[in-house]
Amino acid sequence: MNTNLTKIPPGLLAATKALAETLLHSEPLLAYHQAKTHLERDAEASAFLERLSTVQNEFRVRQSNGSVTQADIDRLRVLQNEVQANKIIMLFVETQQAAIAYLPEVNKEISQLLGFDFAGMAGPASC
Amino acid sequence: METIINELEIASPSVVRQAARDFAAALSETPQFKTYEEFTIQLRGDTAAQKTIHAYQEKQRSLQTLLMLHALPPQEQAELERLKQDYLAQPVVKAFLTAQEDLIVLCQTATDLLGQHIGLSFTAACGSGCC
Repeated sequence: MNTNLTKIPPGLLAATKALAETLLHSEPLLAYHQAKTHLERDAEASAFLERLSTVQNEFRVRQSNGSVTQADIDRLRVLQNEVQANKIIMLFVETQQAAIAYLPEVNKEISQLLGFDFAGMAGPASC
Repeated sequence: METIINELEIASPSVVRQAARDFAAALSETPQFKTYEEFTIQLRGDTAAQKTIHAYQEKQRSLQTLLMLHALPPQEQAELERLKQDYLAQPVVKAFLTAQEDLIVLCQTATDLLGQHIGLSFTAACGSGCC
């Protein structure tokens, strides 16, 4: 991070930090970070996610070697249902999606002034 | 469970828009942006460079199907490469590509910094690179 900072002219650095600070106070990002904090502080929700990740990984391994059983499928489905029934996790997912959906609007505002797609210029050229 | 946000903490959409415009203004003041703009204009106005670019693009278009199938005959491949080198050898094209690369690095640095602050990847959220 610090090596990158040296490449940014001071005016742009200040404007980048100001934009980041403002974005953190926008409703979608405030909601996302609040939900993320709740999730991180909730032992049950965190344990659910950890368990889901472990079971999903095990499932992928079994899929790759063709040894998936109906019991594996049931176990994964039960766990997925439990995760989906957890309000803290679902709020995190919803607010994360809303925050991600909000950023293109900000990019549009920036890009209109610059005359090119700002995020596109910064992102990997895949097309 | 509901999200409770103190309204005093919230930046209104107009405040966010203004911060985005201020950011764009700051970016447009950088030497990298100004150089990029300068060479974009120069490139558009350079007849010789435009000719070489069009020649390459025309050839590429005429060979599109073969290119997609990775079935380009060696002589066509060589001709395409020659046309590419022709336009890459144009001084204004070289200058434009260097300016563009410098601006890309600057934009990447800025989006990296934004992402580090906001905890989300700005470029990934904007689906960048996938047009």
